[in-house]
Amino acid sequence: MNLLRAFLSNSRLRNATIGIIVLLVLSVVPFFKAPPPHVELAAEALLEHGPKWFTNGLLTTLLVDLIIILMAVFAVSRMKEVPGAWQNIVEMLVEGMWNLTQSIAGHGSANSRKFFPWVITIFIFVLVSNYIGLLPGFGSIGIYHSGAESHAQAELGNRLAMAGAESVAAAPAEEGKPVLVPLFRSPSADLNMTLALALISVFMTQFFGVQALGLRYFTKFFKNPFKDGMGAVVAFFELIAEISKIISFSFRLFGNIFAGEVVLLVMAFLVTFLLPSIFYGLELFIGFIQALVFMLLTLAFFTMATVSHDDHH
Amino acid sequence: MDALDKLGISWQLLLSQIINFGLLMVILQQLLYKPVLNMIEQRKQRIAEGLEQADKASNAAAEAEAEKQAILEEARREAQEVRAQATRDAERIAQDVRGRADQEAQEIRMKAQADAEAQTAAVMADARKQIADLAIAATEQILGRELANRDEQERFVADYLAQQNGSGS
Repeated sequence: MNLLRAFLSNSRLRNATIGIIVLLVLSVVPFFKAPPPHVELAAEALLEHGPKWFTNGLLTTLLVDLIIILMAVFAVSRMKEVPGAWQNIVEMLVEGMWNLTQSIAGHGSANSRKFFPWVITIFIFVLVSNYIGLLPGFGSIGIYHSGAESHAQAELGNRLAMAGAESVAAAPAEEGKPVLVPLFRSPSADLNMTLALALISVFMTQFFGVQALGLRYFTKFFKNPFKDGMGAVVAFFELIAEISKIISFSFRLFGNIFAGEVVLLVMAFLVTFLLPSIFYGLELFIGFIQALVFMLLTLAFFTMATVSHDDHH
Repeated sequence: MDALDKLGISWQLLLSQIINFGLLMVILQQLLYKPVLNMIEQRKQRIAEGLEQADKASNAAAEAEAEKQAILEEARREAQEVRAQATRDAERIAQDVRGRADQEAQEIRMKAQADAEAQTAAVMADARKQIADLAIAATEQILGRELANRDEQERFVADYLAQQNGSGS
């Protein structure tokens, strides 16, 4: 009883609790119910009758480019010896990445300078891609694709989609039912982007390896089985591992971000308010970690490729 | 290929992403990394220079202070010397003056003494001569003239004294 009175006398605690209760109650009101998540593995073409390559993923990639370049221009255009707030943040990012690169690839080494643009671009691009998918409107603003249906039917489909909230187990995409194609899609949730980065990362690893060691680099993957049988087997596994890097790179990033978005959608579907906020925090964390992981792994592979493995024979 | 299609992977999109990344990297390299790293390097040098200059300035200040102290010390020492010299000179001069004065006084005294002695000797000689003269004169007069009475004798002495006075000095 005393506890209750103390609780009621604390206005902030009381208001917060009331707010939470109101939001939770509102969450079960049908009007506020989120539609069942529409999960599409692939980036979708934006225009129903337009080119297939013009996907929401591509559009968002261009948006990401624009944002990054604008941020860079804004930071650098009026660069001063005594930096402003934004210039300071950007300098901190670039210097931090530069120090990280140097700490792995060697301080002041030529390798650091060679690797740096690749890894920092990966980091910035992946980070902005991950975060842009968390903006409100991603996945919810879009164009209805209705096949041969008329506008009126699309309108009906809209209402159906709203009503679909009531029947929780909405039938998966009935024939003729219009589908909402989101206008934007995080590039990290588009396998084309992650695979492209993975290919670049693995290809550049080979490139830097050859640049540093010459053709000797490939002895890592191919050995004469008659001279060194065990070595040849190990080398073969190395080759497999190198190729599987492409898959692990691309699906790690894609999986994390795509799954994160699905989690957010599902949580919003289960409890419209409050619950997704918690997962937003989680997604912010994951978005940063994944960008860092992609960058650090690439940097580590670059560095490893430039080191000769024959030395200790 | 069907599986790739389901995943939304198409070679056109893949290529576009690769090119996109390449372009972005080149743009950012020129636009962001180089200027920012240059700026950071520049600032680092500026700071190092500033620190060095501050060091130099403080060293110079310390040196100036030391120099000032040395000069002051030197000046003080010189002043001391000058004063000591002056004192010594003054003492010497005073001694000289005193010595000379003493000497002069001595000379004067000795001269005065000599003069006095000379005068005394001259007076004595003169007196002796006069006394002798007087004695001779007196003797002559006593012998040459007979004193009959008192009045005549007195007149004779007065005459003698008047004569002495007239011929004296």
